[in-house]
Amino acid sequence: MVFSSITFLFYFLPIVLIIYYIVPTKLKNLVLLISSFIFYFFGEPVYVLLMAFSIFSTYIFGLLIDKYKDTKYKKIFLIVSIAISISLLVYFKYTDFIISNINLFITHKLDLIHVILPIGISFYTFQMISYLVDVYKGESKVQKNILKLAMYVALFPQLIAGPIVRYKTIANQLENRTHTFEKFSNGVRRFILGLSKKVLIANVLGELVNVFLASNEMSVLYYLLYGVAITLQIYFDFSGYSDMAIGLAKMFGFEFLENFNYPYISKSITEFWRRWHISLSSFFKDYVYIPLGGNRVSKLKWIRNIMIVWLLTGIWHGAAWNFIIWGLYFGILLILEKLFLSKYLEKIPSIFSHLYVMIIVMISFVIFSGENTTQIFKNLTGLVGIGGVPLVSPESIYYFKSYFLVIIISIIAATPLCKNFVNKLKCKKIINLLEPVFLGILFVVSTSYIIDGSFNPFLYFRF
Amino acid sequence: MQDKEKNIIITILFVTILLTAFILNIIKEDSQISIVERRKLATFPDLSFDNIIDGSLSKEFEDYALDQFICRDEFRNIKSLWSNYIFRKKDNNGIFVKENAIYKIEYPLNAANVLKNTKKIDDICNKYLKGKKTYFCIIPDKNYYLDEDILKIDVSEMQNMVKKELPYMNYIDICNELTLKDYYRTDLHLKEENLLKAVNKIKEEMNLDIDKNANYDIEELGDFYGVYYGKQSKKLIPDKINILTNNTIKNSVTYNYETSEKSPVYNKYKFQTSLDKYDVYLSGATPLITIENLDSSNDKELILFRDSFGSSIAPLLIENYSKITLVDLRYISSKILDNYIDFNNQDVLFLYSTLILNQNVLK
Repeated sequence: MVFSSITFLFYFLPIVLIIYYIVPTKLKNLVLLISSFIFYFFGEPVYVLLMAFSIFSTYIFGLLIDKYKDTKYKKIFLIVSIAISISLLVYFKYTDFIISNINLFITHKLDLIHVILPIGISFYTFQMISYLVDVYKGESKVQKNILKLAMYVALFPQLIAGPIVRYKTIANQLENRTHTFEKFSNGVRRFILGLSKKVLIANVLGELVNVFLASNEMSVLYYLLYGVAITLQIYFDFSGYSDMAIGLAKMFGFEFLENFNYPYISKSITEFWRRWHISLSSFFKDYVYIPLGGNRVSKLKWIRNIMIVWLLTGIWHGAAWNFIIWGLYFGILLILEKLFLSKYLEKIPSIFSHLYVMIIVMISFVIFSGENTTQIFKNLTGLVGIGGVPLVSPESIYYFKSYFLVIIISIIAATPLCKNFVNKLKCKKIINLLEPVFLGILFVVSTSYIIDGSFNPFLYFRF
Repeated sequence: MQDKEKNIIITILFVTILLTAFILNIIKEDSQISIVERRKLATFPDLSFDNIIDGSLSKEFEDYALDQFICRDEFRNIKSLWSNYIFRKKDNNGIFVKENAIYKIEYPLNAANVLKNTKKIDDICNKYLKGKKTYFCIIPDKNYYLDEDILKIDVSEMQNMVKKELPYMNYIDICNELTLKDYYRTDLHLKEENLLKAVNKIKEEMNLDIDKNANYDIEELGDFYGVYYGKQSKKLIPDKINILTNNTIKNSVTYNYETSEKSPVYNKYKFQTSLDKYDVYLSGATPLITIENLDSSNDKELILFRDSFGSSIAPLLIENYSKITLVDLRYISSKILDNYIDFNNQDVLFLYSTLILNQNVLK
């Protein structure tokens, strides 16, 4: 079940909200747990057992790590528990990728297993690892109630598309959280804005991307339109989902950390990754980069550490070479920035540093979204007119005109311009009056786009 | 308004919308069909162990929830309005309105499909029509006549491809015999009352007698909301369906091979009952149908390979023939035609719109 569906919005959510707010406090967690399993079961009926097994395994190993915290077994339990989680992730996500690459070098080809990737497995696996490591390090208390641990892992707002919520972030909230009009309405606001980002912007731009991919009438303008559209689509889709998750969590009394912070206003790639998918980059920083030694090692090892982190970041996004190239591409750029580029970026006018970031990011998402290396190469060379493509074509001009305003709105919405403008206005009473109207319109229009059966992809099926 | 009041209003507004829609969706009686969209709507899915376990239940339920949502048509209109007036998109789901007429983007020319179709027609000619005089006529889609800089099929290129692939056919060009006003505003088809010029051109090229003084009575049947109407949000005045009749047409009768039913050329019962009022012409889409001219003094016959455009053109050709056999290759395989048609000395006309030639739908 996805948030931007009628089933979720007008059947699942109202039922869960009613029951959640009717039952006494001590039953609220149980309601959330059951509804989270139903949420997952509705989309992945069989894999709900896999998730239950993973939770049970994490629960048992958490207890063992805690019980033997003063012994050498603690480390063994941690390694075994992480190995189990990672093995499941590798089996379901990477087996066919590994086999198809081995097949390139052997005569008698191995059969692919064609296993379907369980949605959300990358997110909940990382959440369980974060729990185990935090318990191991003594940064979090072990959770002795399996239902509460299950709720942390399976909590439906973040289950299938993140953000990756650390156990220590919500450990206390699992036991004790408040429910207020302020928190609920903030959640509603955040949810509607996220839904609008996903449905009104990302999906609309996704239509343009699909039209481009289906076309045989290429031109430089068309490649550029595609580059801009895919860059904006991925941001609005992903950050829209995060907003919806954060908003839903608030409605149920939880506070998640931010996952996106206007990444497209960055002046360097280093800054970009401080603002983009924050929960993932901080996970890799805390659980991979720093344990490897971070930057407190020799320059060569430091470069190795960065490349390992970005190799993992790339492959986390999907079992394909384009994701690995995408991750390594950012790793190399971050190394270059840390070595010498950043001091130049600080000196040049900010418009050029913004431009630098956006070009790098646009190229990265063309790589990210490519189906294969041939298509990626074609799309990248097309951006600069290599390959004898014309500058414009009738189709590209038509779609440029048709999507011009959507792209302009998207670019403005990707910056804090509107937020800053509203904050500077002094007529707060009028703004307070208009805000519910504005949110109501956005919600109705988003619903109308969903009802119309418009293009509504789920981009994270490979995560 | 203070923040506290605002928060309460937002909460109440959101919860009210969710609950109202939820309750109304539960109590609302399900509709079977959408008249505006001209299609059957999804019904509540059957629950079974299999569809629960394979995950298809969630997809079927979402389809049901989308189709049966309260005020579905109004929500679709809101989407269309937002797309047109806020986003200023040039089309909504490929549909756009210009000067109170509705158009659908048909683009680009699909050369592969055109070649598949010409190959299919070539096979038919080789199997059934050797030595016969055959004619080919392409009916342009209405976008062809738009001046606007929109995406449209390159009709000239399609004509050239057909002439090149089927060089033995006599090609009839009717593009100059039609104008934008000859098409319904809310539909893709041509108005029968505006077809005489194009039909006379066809007759002229096929060496048929043209009665310049042919008197047709125009009979207005009523309002017609075409196939494009439900795909956009503007409230446009409907088209009118008019039929051209004379004694020959009145005395002609159709025979439908699929239903084994005889009907008049214009089936007014279909006009009253069918979702698509265009079904008045020859009772709608069907694989194989004949029109017999009971007044005919000759024994000439025509085999007309056609799509839906042919339904309103065929009645205007019947006075020249004793029988017209209409074949719609979208619904019948060309391999079994000789089970139904005795190919001998008939005239043969392939009459296809650009919309069909651009698709891979001929069997």
